[in-house]
This record gives sequence, structure tokens and C-alpha cells, in this order.
Amino acid sequence: MSGSGTQQAAHSLAFRVMRLCRPTLHVDTSPLKFDPCDLLFGEDLFDDPVASSHLPRLLDSINVGQSNNNSTDPSDFSYRTRFLLQHPSDSLGLPGLLVLPQSFGAIYLGETFCSYISINNSSNFEVRDVTIKAEIQTERQRILLLDTSKSPVESIRAGGRYDFIVEHDVKELGAHTLVCTALYNDGDSERKYLPQFFKFMVSNPLSVRTKETTFLEACIENHTKSNLYMDQVEFEPAQHWSATMLKAEDHSVEHNLLTREVSKPPVLIRSGGGIHNYLYQLRSSSQVTAQVKVEGSNVLGKLQITWRTNLGEPGRLQTQHILGNPITRKVIELQAVEVPSVIILEKPFLVHLNLINQTERVLGPFEVWLSQSDSLDEKAIMVNGLQTTTLGEVQALGSLKFQLNLIAIKNGIQKISGFTVFDTVEKKTYDSLLELEIYVDSE
Amino acid sequence: MDVPESPPPNSSTAAAATAAADLVEDPLSNPYSSLNSHCHELSTLQDLACRGSWRTVLDKVARARSLSLLNKPHEHLIYLTFNLLALIKLRRFSDAQLELENLDDDLDSRQYLFESYPQQYPNHHPGSMVPFALRWLQAHLPLTLGNRQLSLDRLYSLLHFIRNKKLKPVSRAIDERDNKGASDDNVSQGIWKKREGLVINTIISYHLSQKEFKVCLDLLRAEIGEKEDPILLSKLGCVQMQYGDLEGAKMSFDAVEKMVAGHETSDVSLKNLVSRNKAMIYLVGKDYVSAVREYEECIERDGSDVVAINNKALCLMYLRDLSDSIKVLESALERIPTMALNETLVVNLCSMYELAYVNHADIKKTLSNWIARVAPDDFDTSCTRI
Repeated sequence: MSGSGTQQAAHSLAFRVMRLCRPTLHVDTSPLKFDPCDLLFGEDLFDDPVASSHLPRLLDSINVGQSNNNSTDPSDFSYRTRFLLQHPSDSLGLPGLLVLPQSFGAIYLGETFCSYISINNSSNFEVRDVTIKAEIQTERQRILLLDTSKSPVESIRAGGRYDFIVEHDVKELGAHTLVCTALYNDGDSERKYLPQFFKFMVSNPLSVRTKETTFLEACIENHTKSNLYMDQVEFEPAQHWSATMLKAEDHSVEHNLLTREVSKPPVLIRSGGGIHNYLYQLRSSSQVTAQVKVEGSNVLGKLQITWRTNLGEPGRLQTQHILGNPITRKVIELQAVEVPSVIILEKPFLVHLNLINQTERVLGPFEVWLSQSDSLDEKAIMVNGLQTTTLGEVQALGSLKFQLNLIAIKNGIQKISGFTVFDTVEKKTYDSLLELEIYVDSE
Repeated sequence: MDVPESPPPNSSTAAAATAAADLVEDPLSNPYSSLNSHCHELSTLQDLACRGSWRTVLDKVARARSLSLLNKPHEHLIYLTFNLLALIKLRRFSDAQLELENLDDDLDSRQYLFESYPQQYPNHHPGSMVPFALRWLQAHLPLTLGNRQLSLDRLYSLLHFIRNKKLKPVSRAIDERDNKGASDDNVSQGIWKKREGLVINTIISYHLSQKEFKVCLDLLRAEIGEKEDPILLSKLGCVQMQYGDLEGAKMSFDAVEKMVAGHETSDVSLKNLVSRNKAMIYLVGKDYVSAVREYEECIERDGSDVVAINNKALCLMYLRDLSDSIKVLESALERIPTMALNETLVVNLCSMYELAYVNHADIKKTLSNWIARVAPDDFDTSCTRI
């Protein structure tokens, strides 16, 4: 795999670049190797006493030359290793052969970019005094990876090469350019300058979503094209907090007798959108938070994530500070005080509700209605009468009882979830306050 | 290329006489003295297969069929199996499908039993004449045509067939007349056990190629639990490496080393296995120098350890020594062509050429020409990326 670059045709030198992430173990999907007795004879032949006493000798004579793998007779023009099973596990197709990276692939934040760079002299003349520089340019910065200006390469002969390997921990997202430049004296002793550019994009490998009360649930989603093996996921709590990871009872823990170790099943997140959740219990180590009623935010801590892919290729990321709201307090709350035990289809029924003001100021007046979902389903429950009910002000930390006259036009179990309260003064809408499940009889 | 599904009509006297010579009439004679006494020119077929001359196999089968050289049903089946295998090796999957259609789908049908042809096989031990490989090929073919699920279903059915119909938890009644009864049983059971392993390994390789690692781990662990096999355990370690569990891989490789130490044999292949595992651990820790050292020890013990040679070349590349890595691969191809020539090694060599030479087309063409002269018919030349 070569890089493209802007170069004049007259240059003696050219850069060749190959990404050097870890090699892969070759997997052969169908080795197509067989035991001779599976091909040459009927499958039941060994049930025949006559056969099973003679066949092994016959088979041995076929296999001679193959069992002795120390023989490296160059005149043995046989490819029997592509056809005959030497060991039963050959059919797994995992010979242990390593393969060089075959394409540039995707690069993700937190990984290490490693590249083999070769500068070739494809001319017929020696070039001298070669100063080579390699740097990574992003939107924000330039990072120098290699600079031979203090000790330039004295010469590269005709047809020769100078190689180097560069590494860079990727810490930024977006467009990156590997800029390779060479300053040299060509065959005519002209000082020439060769720049070559290799572009690549760095994407986000993971997204971390957190949900928290006194428990922190972190959901890690894999946006890469490989499965990610979660090596370590640790929550580093902030000051005043301590965290314990909670895991389900693992009944599948195996005691591998051969290794005499307890081997835990690996956490592997599937490529392209797979997720895995981690749960932490947070405990505050000071009394402070219990008294904090302000909806201020505290810093709970950070998540440190280390993952590995093919052959242990590592990547690491740290999330930003995860914030918590120690007390989730709603501004207003809606409670169902009384719901009739029997509700008949198409017969109006009364639901008694209570609107509670949780703040320390007067709120309202309010308007209350039942909004319908956007789904294509017909409305099941509707307000019987005026669609919007007007309520007066509610005192600080006070409450207001009211009724809604409803009617059901579908029977069976129905959910009423569209209660909407609108503060006409502050112009704020509150929904998702209350969900009621009722059973509607046909008659 | 018609394959008769029923036995040919009454053979001529001459054919009957030849057939009689092959039968177990005289218990002292050995009908299995050679492959050719079992099936027409079978040793040639076997030899061609070992040489990778699959196109010649196709020619031979076509000739035998058109000249009606095959007399017995079991010969037709063996030839069909070789034909099918040749087509699949040559990646002619649709043709293979057509070939399979010459067969009754149900390999358990009575027409594939010896006892269905009493005239052809008098006194023959009853049983199926289907070569087991044919069952396997029938199961694998849908995958090559894009239907992975059907192949998996067939493989699991095959596994079920082996476990329920062939593998016996209790040994059969011993034939009183033949005091070799018990050991015959063992031979047969041993063969079926191997076949069970083949099917399980095929299933694992399917999952492996789709990176379904958890299934692979479960299946491999079940296999390993049954027998102490350092080679199999090493492959488990490789799977663990593939998805990044380096600690798990190290534990597996350490267990292999203990297993091999207990063997007390100077088996070179096992010693090399342990060294290659060590080298992998060094490699993932980026200690390429130590990895190269381990691989060199392997090569000294066994000059045809192609895995060690290939992997050593890669390590040299990671040590910035592109020239030597190319030399290692080129010299292996020169020294031991039939062992070293495989698609993976060629892919690696071509990648190195593309990096080392601005005008790499020439040198790749030279390689490609050499391959054309030397390679077996089933070699996938697309690996040179020309």
C-alpha cells in the first residue's frame, strides 16, 4: 500500500508508506484437508473386521513421507500438506501464520498510529545530504515525529532506500496529515525539496452515556469496525466519592482444569454499534451532599477505558468529568388520587388528580390537557368535555386537587400517558409527569 | 458426465470375473492389499491429489466416466467425491453444485449401501459406501455459494448424525467368532471420533472467520476438556490473541509449555510449537528481537517450519529491516518451494515488495511467473495482487 502525494516527476526520491499496526493471524475459511480414509473408503468400512485389520497398513503406506516433517527433500514436488490432515486441528484453519496489514484501515482516537516509511532512490544516480522530516499535522497542531537535519543521511545510492518507523499517539479527532519531506542533493548536485502528504481521518471509537442516581450506569457503544476486547474499564471517583463496580453473579465462571486458573469470560463489544453496560455504586464520603438541595452539579468522577483489538492492539480513552445531580427534584408533580375501579367503554369516568408545587415560589395559573401520542393508533382515552382545564395558582410547596372527566373508546388495558401541564406565566410545559394504566370493560 | 444412480445392468462375464477376484471369498486373501484393488486406479487419483494436480483429477474422472471404466457403485462414489473435491479446490463452486446434483440428496438412502447390491458385493460386510468426505463436502458447499446458514445447519446435522448413529457409549456385542471384535470396535469408534472432531473444527472455523469469538471459545474449550492436546490448546491461545485477551493467551501458552515438558520426548514439532507460542508473546509485547530469536531456534531445529520463517520475516519488518525480511521469504521459496509456497506468505512478500520498490510491478511479475511454473492447480493467484 503506497501513499499518494504531490510530487514533481523529476524527483529521484519517493516516499513509500505502510501503516504498521499489529499483524493479523491468518484465518483459512476452508483448508479442505482430509484424512485419506475419509476419501478412499466407504465410511463404514472399518466396521468390517477384515477391512479394519488390513486397512491401517495400507493407510500407513500412503501416509509415509508425510509424518516425517523433518524431511525437506527439495525434489519432493508434492503439495500433500495442502491436502492431507497432519493434525486434527488443521481443520480449524488457524495455522499461526501472521499477515501484514493489508490496508490502511480506520484509525480511532486513543490508538497509536504507527507507520513504516521508506524513502526510495529510483534514479540512476546517488543522492547526497538527505534531510528527512516527518510530522503529523492536524487542525490544531503540528507534531514532529522525525527530523534528521542535525545528522543528515549522507547518501542514498541508486536503487537504494532509507527506512524509518514512526509512532504517534492519536489524541485528536478529524483530519490528520502525515507530512514527509526530504531535502537532498540530486545527481546534478541540485538541491531539491520533496514533500509528500498522506491523509487520514481519526474517528471516535466509543460513545459513553451515563445515567445516575446513587448508581452510575455507563453504557459504552462501539463505533469501530472491529470487536473491542474490554481490557480495563475503571471509574475514578472524584474527591468525596467512592465507587464499587457491580456485576451480576457470574454462574458461567469456569475452572479450567488444565490451566488451574479461574478464567473469566471475556467482555467483547461487537463492532459497529455493539454496547456493554457497566454499573457502579457511588457512595459519598462526606455528609455534605445530603444537605445540598440546590440543583447544582457535582463532579462524580471520570471513566478510564482501555481496550484491545487484534493481537492486543491497545487503545485508551478517558471520559470528561461525569456530573451528577444528587437530588433529582421535579418542579411540579402530578399524582393520581382516585381512579374508578370499574371503567366501561364509552362511558365517562372521573379521575381525581393532585398537582404539587415542589418549589419555594408560587407557580401558575396552569392549563392541563391530555395530549395524544404521535403514533398512528387511534386515541384510546380522551377528555370528555372541554379539552383544556384551567387551574389557578399553586402556593409554594403546596398542592391543588382537581378532576378530569375522561372517556375510553377502546377496551382492554390502556395507558394514559399524555398528561400535560402548562405554566401560563413562566410559559413552561411539563409532560411525562404521570402514567396511568387502566382496564376498560366492554360492558 | 452422467453418474448412474443405480448399479449398471448385468455386467459381462469378464467384468464379473474381475469383480469376483476382489471379493472376500477366500478369507486368507487381502482385498485391501492396494488402493487399486479397492477401486479403479485409485492410487493415481490419490497421487494427483497430493501433487495438487486437480485439473488432471477432473480429466481422469471425466475419462473414466466416458469410457465406462468404473464397474462398481462404490467406485462411482469415490470418483464423484474426488471430482467434487477438485471442483471446490479449483473454486468452481457452481460446477461443484451441478456435480452434487448427480447424487440423491439423502446420503442415507439405500442405494448407497453395500447390501443393496448382493450380486456386486456378495459376502461384503453391510454398511454405507459413502466416503465420509462426501458428507462433509455436501455440508460445506452452500457456504461457498453464499449460504452460510445452510452450511451451518448441515454441519450441525452431521454432528448429530455422528453422535447419535455412529458413536456408541456402550461397546457393541463382540463377535464371538472373531476375537478381534473389541479392537475392531475401537478402530471404528476412533475413526468416528476423528470425524466428530473434523466437523466441530469446521464449525469453529466458520465462526472464527466471522469473528464470533465467544462461540469459538466455548466450542474449543469443550474440545480441549476432553483431551490433553498441546496443539489444540495453542490454537485456543491464538484465538484469545486475536481478540486481544493477552493475559488469557499467556495462560493458555504456559499450560501448553507444561504439557509438553511432561511429554519427555524430543519431538521437534512440539518444541517448535512452544517456541512459536513464546515468540507470539514477545511479538505482542513489541519485543521483536526476542521473537526473532525464538523463530531462529525453530528454524534451526526444523528448516521447513514455514510458520516460523514467515513470522520471523514479519518481525524483521517491524524492526525496520525490510531488506532482510524480503530475503527470508525469498530464500524459503527457493530452498523449500513446495512447503513454503502458500498464499499467505506470498501476500506478505508482495506487501513488502510494494513498500520496497517504487516500480514493484516488475518484481511482482517475476514472482508471479515463477509461481505459475511451480504452484499447484488450487493456488489462488489473486494473492499477488497484480
